[in-house]
Amino acid sequence: MAAARKSMIKFKPKKFKVGDTIKVDFIVIHPMETGTRKDKKTGELKPAKYIDSITFSFDGKPFTTMKVWETVSTNPYFSVNFKVPGKGKVTVDYTDNTGEKHSKSKKLKPKG
Amino acid sequence: MERRKFIQSICAASAVAAVVSPSALLAKDAPKGGNILTYDAAVEAITGGKAVTDSDKVKLTVPEIAENGAVVPVKVNVESPMTDADHVKAIHVLSTKNGNARCADIMLTPMNAKGYFATRIKLAGTQDVVALVELSDGSFLRAAKPVKVTIGGCG
Repeated sequence: MAAARKSMIKFKPKKFKVGDTIKVDFIVIHPMETGTRKDKKTGELKPAKYIDSITFSFDGKPFTTMKVWETVSTNPYFSVNFKVPGKGKVTVDYTDNTGEKHSKSKKLKPKG
Repeated sequence: MERRKFIQSICAASAVAAVVSPSALLAKDAPKGGNILTYDAAVEAITGGKAVTDSDKVKLTVPEIAENGAVVPVKVNVESPMTDADHVKAIHVLSTKNGNARCADIMLTPMNAKGYFATRIKLAGTQDVVALVELSDGSFLRAAKPVKVTIGGCG
């Protein structure tokens, strides 16, 4: 379980111009444990572990914030639209209910 | 010898299937976690008692039949100009019969340019998925669609 945390940001379509509306997809590898499931071997409840807040920001300015509960699937994906204002960096931060934090960013490079 | 191996392999395979499939879902009969919230209570918490109108402006895309309740794709599209004066403030994704009715709250800004959101959620069984949309003027719109869950929920 060395690579327990991984995430990915995708822009769709891949080529875009300033002023275009693109999709920003964020995919995380995360167990999203509900806290109601039992461990099959020990019979004990697995502790809840799920992402509870996500922030999408562009050059440090947040444009979408989310509150998420354990009812979102394992290895979740979130997709929002975004109008490209120019060159910059899109950053997605998340926090889970155990206080674990993770941040991922990707450069936004519009052409033309 | 071959027969024994064959039976052993079948046993192993079914054991794996038994462990994997129900545990991937929300167990209905299992003790509830700290986040139990019924659908009505969740709507009350979001709207604060305000009236909610069903609207064609909200387009909710869900599969009619979900084969696996652990992964149900949900897409919400809201018709809106997304200007500073008139935009979609928030999209709430809810389910009617899950232990915790709330799935995700998405706070949008005019920078998003479109009232769009997509994700994947877990469903404990056949039920409705509801998108509750809050506009910048404080009114609420709603769209709901039933989803049939074939392998689902009760573990």
